[in-house]
Amino acid sequence: MISLRSVTKLYNEGRPNELRALSDVSLEIGRDAVTVFKGPSGSGKTTLLSIVGCMARPTSGRVLVDGRMVSGLPETFLTEERRSTFGFVFQRFNLIRGLTVAENVALPAAPLGPDPRALAARIETRLEALDLADKADTPVEHLSGGEMQRAAIARALINDAPVLIADEPTANLDTDLTHRFLDIVADLRAEGRSVILSSHDPRIWQSDLVDRVVGMADGRLAEVAA
Amino acid sequence: MILQTPILALLLAAALSNAVALWTAWFGLRVLRGWDIASGSRAQLRLERRTGLASTLFGFVMLIQIAALLLFVFNADRMATLFVGAMCAVGTLNVNAYGFPALYLKIAVFFAASLWLILDRVDRQGRDYPLTRLKFSGALLIAPLVLTGAGTELAFFLGLKTDVITSCCSKMFTPANDGIAAEMTGTAPATALWFLGLAGVAVAATGTVSLAAARLQWLFALAGGVFFAAALTAIVSVISLYVYDHPNHHCPFCLLQREYGYVGYALYVPLFAGTALAMGAGLLSLFAGTGSLATVLPGALRRLVWASLICHGLFGAVVLSVIATSRLVLFG
Amino acid sequence: MTPGLRRQRALAEYTLAAMARRRGKNIGLVAVYAAVVFFVASAMLFSAALRREAAIVLSEAPELVVQNLLMGRHELMPGAAVETLAGIRGVAGAQGRLWGYFYDRVNGANYTLMVPFDPALIPPAGAAIFGEAIPRTRDHPWLGAPLFLSRHPGDLVRFNAAGQLTAAQGLVSSDLILIGEADFRAFFGLPPEVYTDIAVTIRNPREIDTIVQKAEALLPDARFVTRDEILRTYQKIFSWREGILVALAGASILAFAIFAAEKASGLSADEAREIGILKAIGWDMRDVIAMKLWEGGLVSVGAFLAGTVAAYLHVFAFGAALFAPVLKGWSVIYPDFPLAPEIDGIEMTALFFLTVLPYLAATLVPIWRIASADPDQVMR
Repeated sequence: MISLRSVTKLYNEGRPNELRALSDVSLEIGRDAVTVFKGPSGSGKTTLLSIVGCMARPTSGRVLVDGRMVSGLPETFLTEERRSTFGFVFQRFNLIRGLTVAENVALPAAPLGPDPRALAARIETRLEALDLADKADTPVEHLSGGEMQRAAIARALINDAPVLIADEPTANLDTDLTHRFLDIVADLRAEGRSVILSSHDPRIWQSDLVDRVVGMADGRLAEVAA
Repeated sequence: MILQTPILALLLAAALSNAVALWTAWFGLRVLRGWDIASGSRAQLRLERRTGLASTLFGFVMLIQIAALLLFVFNADRMATLFVGAMCAVGTLNVNAYGFPALYLKIAVFFAASLWLILDRVDRQGRDYPLTRLKFSGALLIAPLVLTGAGTELAFFLGLKTDVITSCCSKMFTPANDGIAAEMTGTAPATALWFLGLAGVAVAATGTVSLAAARLQWLFALAGGVFFAAALTAIVSVISLYVYDHPNHHCPFCLLQREYGYVGYALYVPLFAGTALAMGAGLLSLFAGTGSLATVLPGALRRLVWASLICHGLFGAVVLSVIATSRLVLFG
Repeated sequence: MTPGLRRQRALAEYTLAAMARRRGKNIGLVAVYAAVVFFVASAMLFSAALRREAAIVLSEAPELVVQNLLMGRHELMPGAAVETLAGIRGVAGAQGRLWGYFYDRVNGANYTLMVPFDPALIPPAGAAIFGEAIPRTRDHPWLGAPLFLSRHPGDLVRFNAAGQLTAAQGLVSSDLILIGEADFRAFFGLPPEVYTDIAVTIRNPREIDTIVQKAEALLPDARFVTRDEILRTYQKIFSWREGILVALAGASILAFAIFAAEKASGLSADEAREIGILKAIGWDMRDVIAMKLWEGGLVSVGAFLAGTVAAYLHVFAFGAALFAPVLKGWSVIYPDFPLAPEIDGIEMTALFFLTVLPYLAATLVPIWRIASADPDQVMR
């Protein structure tokens, strides 16, 4: 359960180019569900995702994860919360070029001091589930768009995060790959994970998989559909 | 001034330490004014990230200071050949009035910086950084110490003149003089050893109690302080005699020389580290009531006490082996 | 292994992988850094070796040398003074020494001519034992060729070669010519019963000061030079020259530190993006700093080792070809001798301080700046 209470986020506060990305957003997101933030670009979806996912601190307001207050935490502890709860898939995937798929997938585990053998086993399982096992030693720049996304998903899940957050996951995918992505979401949901997406793609928010669509406009909640 | 590479290295280390100490003090003032952990503002976030920088830099300076303390003593020892009448570091440090103050200030900086780093480490484990204000008040106090130390060291190096006839350790560590060094030297060997042994028992006992009861670490710190004094007295009064196989050579610096197998380092490094850790445990025990540290502090205290006990044990083992392997027979 | 150690290991592995991908840039950095270390380390190793040579040579010298002075200048010593000095309590022995300089107009060099104490080293009449530099600078056609010295135009004195001094202790013996007493007096036109100076050996070094006081009363015109004083002077001169060189090297260290800081703060767009990604996927500021410190540590240690080893070879295998002129002196006759290799803890510590500290200091703040990037910036 993630709760936002009157969250406001300003960028460049106090400067002439100050930007109010979110104003006074209150929201509760339950576990075991697929939630989509829907809205045009610039509506604050991505900012909302980063605050929900403990990536950024709100300028004011409170954020609670499973009842624990995280909005007042120092950055280090916020990072710890994020590592244990959330996995991120970015719009442009943000894989590190020059490293192999397996090396990229291993990255989020490094700060936790993983046991190398257990980690290797986890990577293998994860890549197999995503049909990437044969690409484990391929440098990521040689992957196709769909493979890159699956590598990014494997990386997001390597620490076994219960919540997956994906920003515009289908923006760079064709219809086939979009369906493939929705299949993966279905699998994750079946594993008992929550998925939070931001999207302006009707194929996503019209899908049966989605439990809840949250509309956004100009940094505020626009309409909440069940 | 004697232009020598180790001196240049020490001056460089002092200059870097000064820069960091000044910056940390200035930053500490800003922390004291503007620290508000509950705020989500950009200013607070930046302040918070800068505390990370301050810890990194201070840790860096701390390492420099430890190495510089060793280099300072080692170099003073080496330079003794340049001065008439000097046989070891004592002669060099006695060349002008700033030598020994520089050494004492370096030791003071070592202890202060150790405590600060222990505080820093624990503070960063509390989810609201509960000791941050205290930590940076401390940095404000340490900065003048670092600056004075560097100034004294510079004055010492600038005043090194090879035509000065200095006095050697045999003139300083002799019971015939006045002053603390003479008092320590004059302590009867048996008394000094008894005192050291009792202090060792006190350290072991308070350490065990504080481990078992998970409190009373301040008592352990106190015992550690007493042990430090007892150990220094014993080194001057009796342990040095065993090292030199000589009934009248009391110098605590000649121990560091090659002909005695650098045994001084094996004595001083665990002694200083053990004392600093014990003092750190005592300091931390003052914050046992701090809410966000409740889960962190007991573990940190236990580790500090253990590490300190191990250092004390090492020191004791070196002392015993020195006495056992010496050809000098003082008792019986 | 504890999680803490495993974390360090994982961070170090990532660092190695990241550095391998930017091999060219990192090799360039290490090369420049190693060159700086090499310069400083060469100066230090070389002058430390010279200090040791001097100390070894002087360990065989007499505790006290007594010279006669006339009008403040060095004068010949009457032989009677030898007896006077030998009679002082505590003096183990006093011997008159015969030595002098000879300016060789053939090659512009100054030789030291000397009558040795050691009977084994006294050559037969008409012969001489040379330091190793003399046949070299005189272009002797074969080993053992006689030496001809000309005191003034038209004059020529022949010395048969009776042997050569080894190069091992070459610093003070390379320009030496050992001849017999009769030859010496004849060559310089010296009357009998005078000496250049007197060497006094003293059994207990603690008595030197007392003996000097007594001797001063007996020989009021003489000057007394103790071995410790000479040793101190040598140590001071070599240390001072080393200090000058290292201070000069300070400029290059500073330049390097600025270069390193530039390099660390002016990260390529690629690297900045990478760190942004790492922060976004869950690395904390401290993880990034630790990773970057591994990088700095690997670079420093690599450069330090490479520079020091190169300097060691330079000084001990190649005779410090680059620095010898500054540190040894400017004599025409130039000792050519292998230095005894030795590495000294204090020198290495000082070297580490002087080269690694500036690098770390110059890169820490830029590293922190990179590491404190907003984790959500890759999402924007």
